Amino acid sequence: MDNIAPEQARAALEAADRARLLVAGEVGLPRGYWWAMAAGWLLMGVLGTVLPPWSAGIATAGFGVGHSVLASRLLDGRRRTDGLRVSAAVAGRRVPLVVIGMLLGLVGVTVLAALALHADGAGHAGIWAAVLVAAVVGFGGPEILRVLRRWARA
Amino acid sequence: MTQARFDELIHPITRLSLVATLAAADWAEFAFLKDRLQLSDSALSKQLTTLEEAGYVTTERRLSGGRRKVRARLTSAGRDAFNGHIAALQAVVADAAAPSEGPPA
Repeated sequence: MDNIAPEQARAALEAADRARLLVAGEVGLPRGYWWAMAAGWLLMGVLGTVLPPWSAGIATAGFGVGHSVLASRLLDGRRRTDGLRVSAAVAGRRVPLVVIGMLLGLVGVTVLAALALHADGAGHAGIWAAVLVAAVVGFGGPEILRVLRRWARA
Repeated sequence: MTQARFDELIHPITRLSLVATLAAADWAEFAFLKDRLQLSDSALSKQLTTLEEAGYVTTERRLSGGRRKVRARLTSAGRDAFNGHIAALQAVVADAAAPSEGPPA
């Protein structure tokens, strides 16, 4: 240990930190989760338009329960790829909260988009709003989550 | 608290990066490690074997989708050694940064 120069020790610490950051960069949800979520979003948009309000409400609640059951293991963000499982210490405990917050925010965006489209006279405004947000979730879900995690320091 | 202990086995930069990667994960697949650490199959195998012989890493061979996959994970001894090594490196850097003590001239 006495033979190690401070520069050498610093370089070694930097290498170890780079490796840790590399693993931290793997935190996230599998690509399939986002596409399944986009499909679900689209389905909810269609059901919300074609079903009576009480049925649409039940379908929405069912979607929420289904999500919490099927995706609960994924929400910790440690299983994005099958190449590794990120340790709990590196992933942190706030990723599920960020994902849920993001989904709630997207619900708000869907409602606002539907209201705007309806005000503009568009037919099936709910479906078109769902299509819009489903595309955002499907194509940009991982990137949005990455930005939100950075903001939330999660 | 982690006891600072320099570890000659972990210190070479390739092995340190490998152990640091495994320390941040529960487990990692051979292909992931090879890709991210930019090592050849033989180089990574050699490093894993060295660490496994020291009791720092365990490897597990699995059949997944008809393909054999190797999964590596750090043992608790390996994690302790890594944490001790990092603490030792931090101590070296801290000692160098601390103002030298001595009687005023």
